[in-house]
Amino acid sequence: MARALPFIGAGLLAIGLFAFPFLAGQNSYYIHLVQMMAIYAILILGLDIVVGYTGQVSLGHAGLFGIGAYGAAVIFHHFGMGVWPGLLVGVIVTGIFGAVLAVPALRVIGPYLAMVTLAFGTIIQIVINEWTGLTNGPLGVTLPPPRVVDFADWRSFWQSTLGLKAAEFQRLEFYYLCVLLMLVAILVVNRVVRSQYGRAFEALRDSPIACDCMGVSVYRYKVYAFVVSAALAGLAGALFSWSERYVSPNTYNFELSILFLLAVILGGRKSRAGPLIGAFIIVYLPNVLSDIELVRIMAGMIAAAALVALGIIALRSREKLVRALPPVILCLAFLPLTLNVNNVTDYRLTIFGLMILFVVFYLPDGVMGFLREVFPVLKPRHVTAAQPAVASAIFADRGLADAKTLLRVESVVMQFGGLKALDSVKLAIAPGTIHGLIGPNGSGKSTMMNVLTGIYRPTAGAVYLSQHRIDGLTPSEIAGKGIARTFQNVQLFGEMTAIENVLVGLHHTFRSTLMDAVLRTPRRAREEAEARARAMAILDFMGLGQFAGTEARNLPYGKQRMLEIARALALDPSLLLLDEPAAGLSAPDIAELVEIIRKIRGHGITLILIEHHMDVVMGLCDTVSVLDFGQKIAEGPPAKVQNDPRVIEAYLGGTVAEAAE
Amino acid sequence: MDWISTLLQAPTTSIFWQLVASGVAVGMIYATIAFGYQLTFATSKTLNFGQGEALMLGAMLGLTLLPYLGYWLMLPVILIFGMAQGAVVERLGVRPAIETKSEFGWIMATIALGIIFRNMAENIWGRDDLKFPSPLPETAIELGTVRILPAEIMVVVGALLMMAAVETFNRRSIYGKAFVATSNDIDAAGLMGIDTRRVITMSYAMSSMTAAFAGVLVAPVTLTGATMGAVLALKAFAVAIIGGLDSALGAIVGGILLGVIETLTGYYVSTGYKDVPGLILVLIVLAIRPAGLFGRRTIKKV
Repeated sequence: MARALPFIGAGLLAIGLFAFPFLAGQNSYYIHLVQMMAIYAILILGLDIVVGYTGQVSLGHAGLFGIGAYGAAVIFHHFGMGVWPGLLVGVIVTGIFGAVLAVPALRVIGPYLAMVTLAFGTIIQIVINEWTGLTNGPLGVTLPPPRVVDFADWRSFWQSTLGLKAAEFQRLEFYYLCVLLMLVAILVVNRVVRSQYGRAFEALRDSPIACDCMGVSVYRYKVYAFVVSAALAGLAGALFSWSERYVSPNTYNFELSILFLLAVILGGRKSRAGPLIGAFIIVYLPNVLSDIELVRIMAGMIAAAALVALGIIALRSREKLVRALPPVILCLAFLPLTLNVNNVTDYRLTIFGLMILFVVFYLPDGVMGFLREVFPVLKPRHVTAAQPAVASAIFADRGLADAKTLLRVESVVMQFGGLKALDSVKLAIAPGTIHGLIGPNGSGKSTMMNVLTGIYRPTAGAVYLSQHRIDGLTPSEIAGKGIARTFQNVQLFGEMTAIENVLVGLHHTFRSTLMDAVLRTPRRAREEAEARARAMAILDFMGLGQFAGTEARNLPYGKQRMLEIARALALDPSLLLLDEPAAGLSAPDIAELVEIIRKIRGHGITLILIEHHMDVVMGLCDTVSVLDFGQKIAEGPPAKVQNDPRVIEAYLGGTVAEAAE
Repeated sequence: MDWISTLLQAPTTSIFWQLVASGVAVGMIYATIAFGYQLTFATSKTLNFGQGEALMLGAMLGLTLLPYLGYWLMLPVILIFGMAQGAVVERLGVRPAIETKSEFGWIMATIALGIIFRNMAENIWGRDDLKFPSPLPETAIELGTVRILPAEIMVVVGALLMMAAVETFNRRSIYGKAFVATSNDIDAAGLMGIDTRRVITMSYAMSSMTAAFAGVLVAPVTLTGATMGAVLALKAFAVAIIGGLDSALGAIVGGILLGVIETLTGYYVSTGYKDVPGLILVLIVLAIRPAGLFGRRTIKKV
């Protein structure tokens, strides 16, 4: 039942939308309203990719919408081209602008990105206004009624079968085009976010650094996300200009961007139904606001609902009552406000602002999030593979095991200002060994990890993996060459399930493109099935099989550490770097970890282990290197290093003579 | 390329310096708003996306109070109002988001509060631009070939005074030291017994106070209306990015740079495109040097 729910929902939606014009008795006002909802829904579905999946705030989507609208309008204005070329131009041009917008957006996050997109939107509006030769400036462009198909060819169909007059059919064909494209957009977005692309989007949201270290370039996938999102915005824009049959620069302003964001968060992030709800609200709300009586009735209903909710909460707990007071007061305050004011339309933006505040603080997962809490059957189901792959198929060999030294670090210096975190450190890691890296806090161990994985670029020196020089490469390139890592402070993709975390590690096994994902080709289905089977096998190997469908953030701490190793193993590493894997684990967990590390080595994977638990280091490692103040002070078999006077001095302080006393 | 030939014509040199002078005045306003961004960013790593509305409210309220209080008595009232407005923004929009560690939360909440303030102002003062009378004579002062309005000089002097006052407060007073401590390390400051939440509220109060003051300063030079803040705030953010979010000197240099570029573009290219170079400059700076021209680069820790 739960599995079939999305299909039933989609089917009902499709039937409802196709039957609507006949149910609404050909009322052109309502048909136009639904048409607008479909257009906005296309954009909001795309915006959800950026906001919900990659977790970025875009204030530039009105600008992208405007580019799409003008793309369609301008080629009509100058070349007399109709709807179809308009849509094509709208999508392509806006997609290109999405990529352009992504370039400065790539290196910045959070508030910077919000401001960059805001600046972008403002520039677009100014250019549309000023470039009169192209856009006809502030006068705008007027378009004729849209022609979707050459309807004369279909005369017998619409006249005798549907019994429509020519004018009615002309009006309806565009409605059907919008609705159909919205359904296609739902399908496309659904497929993209469930493919390895969607997983990459979520991974870069939850931990950009881990994402890069899994070989999934944050840079590249942010561009993909922006391009897909922009293309949908462009499609919506092109439809919008033919729907309104008039474009002018002032439509595509900051308020419209805010309205789109409101729709995304109000409807609910990361869902297909959310954007539809959001689109419905933002299209329908202005109609409600223009009717003061209706507003008063709604305000009364909201106030009553808030009071009932308050009553229920008051019965349950006092503490929650205090927290629930501000939103309830907010809801109650609406009523006297609407009774006092005669023209609510003037306060439209205030109402939108209040709605944003309310949603951000009291309904962060939107209407869909709320519905999912109340009706758990609506929660997205997490697909887990039925059959894990056979154990021998878990690891693919990269063929580096024959090299004499797998990793060679040559006199690496890492300088931060006046501090030399690493001072001419040399390392040589033999294949198939476990190499311990120890030293007091601040001795440069983690810096070494970051140099090896490309997060830091060393000031001097070189790093070779087998014969290939790898310093200076990006983290994702180095990951692609077979160096995987875990992190001292766990860097999992929190909102993704355990198996999805491992699947991000398996990203490198996919050859299918974005087009494959959209069209759901056999190749993509096969790769997905193979990857899921392997991911399941890796989880079983790490003893995490039962947690496959659990969100990473909800796992116990010890299991989170294990999941990080599982994710790193998915990369088919020839070298695995473990940064304090035993930190914070209980004694039985540590015993399990030691066992697993041995098993990993048994599969021919070389390991570098940073650890403070000396019994773990001494029990596991073949060779140990000791760092102190950025310099290597000792190296050799564990027993020898353990008794080295310089090591004792570094750890316990004082001189050897004092220690002997 | 007729603007190049315009630029090369000899008599235009005085126009050029004329434009530079008014560019500096506008730039100082950007610098003051950017300085306000820096204040809140230092304590809480958050920004008020409604900073432009804080400026606008300062100017509009100043215009309303002007007939009753006169210019000089109006100023302290505006400063206090700015502080209160900033504190309200922090309590309603920022604090709940900081508590839930939601970056999306404070960005959206300050934007929402901004559009509410703007919409309220539209309903109170109307949608038309108003004229803000200058307290100083309207006749220009001639410096060589360049003519400068007294109001423009006041913008520069007032902006510098305001920034100097806030900096002195931070360096000399015990509250200022709490501010500096919180900026350096919020956790350590909290452990030393500093009420960091109150410091953050204070930083918002000071930030909006500088914005409100900037509003009163700029109002006689530009037009005063409900939408006056939006573009100013965006360009001030550009300045904050160019100058770095942690350098007051960077804000001043960035502000003047942007102001001058803009007035030159407005004259030599087209007034319509006046706002574009600043915004493009931001995109370029962010693409090349995300920490800003004067900002310190931070080392990411893993």
